[in-house]
Amino acid sequence: MTHLIEQEIARYVDRVRSALSDLPPATRDELLEDLPEHLAEVAAEAATAGETAGSLTDRLGPPEAYARELRAAAGVAPPTAPANLDQRVGSLVRKGRDRLRAVDRKLGPVIGYERLSDYLRLLRPAWWVLRGYLAAMLIAFFAYGSSGLLPRLGGSTLAALLLLAATVTGSIWLGRRTASLGRRGTLMMRLGTGALVLFGLAGFIGWGSYTSPGIQYQPVYNDQYSDIRDVYVYDSEGRLLEGVRLFDQNGRPIRLGDPWCESAQERLRTTVGDPYYTDPAQQPYPYCPEGAPFRLHPTSPAPPAGPVASPRGSAVPSPGDSADPSPDGGADPSPIDSPDPTGTPADDANPEASPSPTS
Amino acid sequence: MDTTQLLKGVLDLAVLAVLKDEDGYGYDIMRRLRTAGLDEIGDASVYGTLRRLFQAGLLTTYVVPSESGPHRKYYSLNAAGRDQLTRSGKTWRSFAGTMDRLLDDKGLAA
Repeated sequence: MTHLIEQEIARYVDRVRSALSDLPPATRDELLEDLPEHLAEVAAEAATAGETAGSLTDRLGPPEAYARELRAAAGVAPPTAPANLDQRVGSLVRKGRDRLRAVDRKLGPVIGYERLSDYLRLLRPAWWVLRGYLAAMLIAFFAYGSSGLLPRLGGSTLAALLLLAATVTGSIWLGRRTASLGRRGTLMMRLGTGALVLFGLAGFIGWGSYTSPGIQYQPVYNDQYSDIRDVYVYDSEGRLLEGVRLFDQNGRPIRLGDPWCESAQERLRTTVGDPYYTDPAQQPYPYCPEGAPFRLHPTSPAPPAGPVASPRGSAVPSPGDSADPSPDGGADPSPIDSPDPTGTPADDANPEASPSPTS
Repeated sequence: MDTTQLLKGVLDLAVLAVLKDEDGYGYDIMRRLRTAGLDEIGDASVYGTLRRLFQAGLLTTYVVPSESGPHRKYYSLNAAGRDQLTRSGKTWRSFAGTMDRLLDDKGLAA
């Protein structure tokens, strides 16, 4: 008898346990820790009270119901089915809505209202008017490509005003009846409103690019050398000089244009081993002799002029060189030096050597 | 009105109250509650409530061996439990008084 009762209790507890299988094991074990003893008491009391020996289920109801009641009394979570995608999305939406509501309450006092939405609700009729305007603009834009502030139909202002009146009236009419629209109608209206808002946003953002011809922005280039691609130097005989290098008053190379033609590119490629020519900007003018604008003496090109032709990099004239000539400057066979062995005019400090006409 | 709904809110208080003067084991506690008039109370509710109050640290337990039947686990109020009983009792009396006055005002018979 006792053994039978124990078996019955064990079975009952097992079924209660499985009905609580969704709980964390620790919580469940803790909850069921004393249940066998408790049920034994119940069974024993019933027996001593002389009740007809019914099963535990007769006395306590089915184990699943017992588990439900136990769950509620012990204050643990009710059984929940594992969340599917719908429920997860639903809970996300709920959370987002709650957050929005909190923002609504928080921002309201900033502008002197209990809730921000209270104020926005006041703006509703204004939105209806704006919606009507946007609808008119949408019609004009797609029907006639109109892009002004008025939805001109084929350039007619009267038609624009009539269209505006119609759409604004329609929008207000629709706004007053939004509540009575069916499920379908509400959905359609929301979709339409979304499209209008997108169109409106695109219109406002793109406003800067819609410009009338009168105030069109014209980029102005101040640099008159910006479109120079190459430099051609001619001597007094009209011969094209090649291998020319230009410098400003400070000795900085004047760089104009770029080696654009194929021959210059080829020269760059073949002379890339020469450190003097590795930088394309270091190429002497003209980059592209075949592109010369004038060819007065095409048969007699000038010999490569200047020190560039010299393999010695130090022969390149610099302001330092000209302002401070070495005393034995005459020994330098640099072609840029004057035939006068005393050097440049800067050398006035040497009156004996300078062939001054006054002396 | 469904008594079980009302009972949910005050089951803690009821269990603490029947343990105030005398320790008791599970079935015993349920019998006291039923004798007191709460006959709709379920065994699982009492057992679950005892577990929860024990977890909350309001009850202590001890096991009494029995010669005739199974061992019995006795529950007794500790200091925290008594404290809780006093506070919850006051809350309940105040609430019940408010409800009584409300019903009296509306001329409903007790």
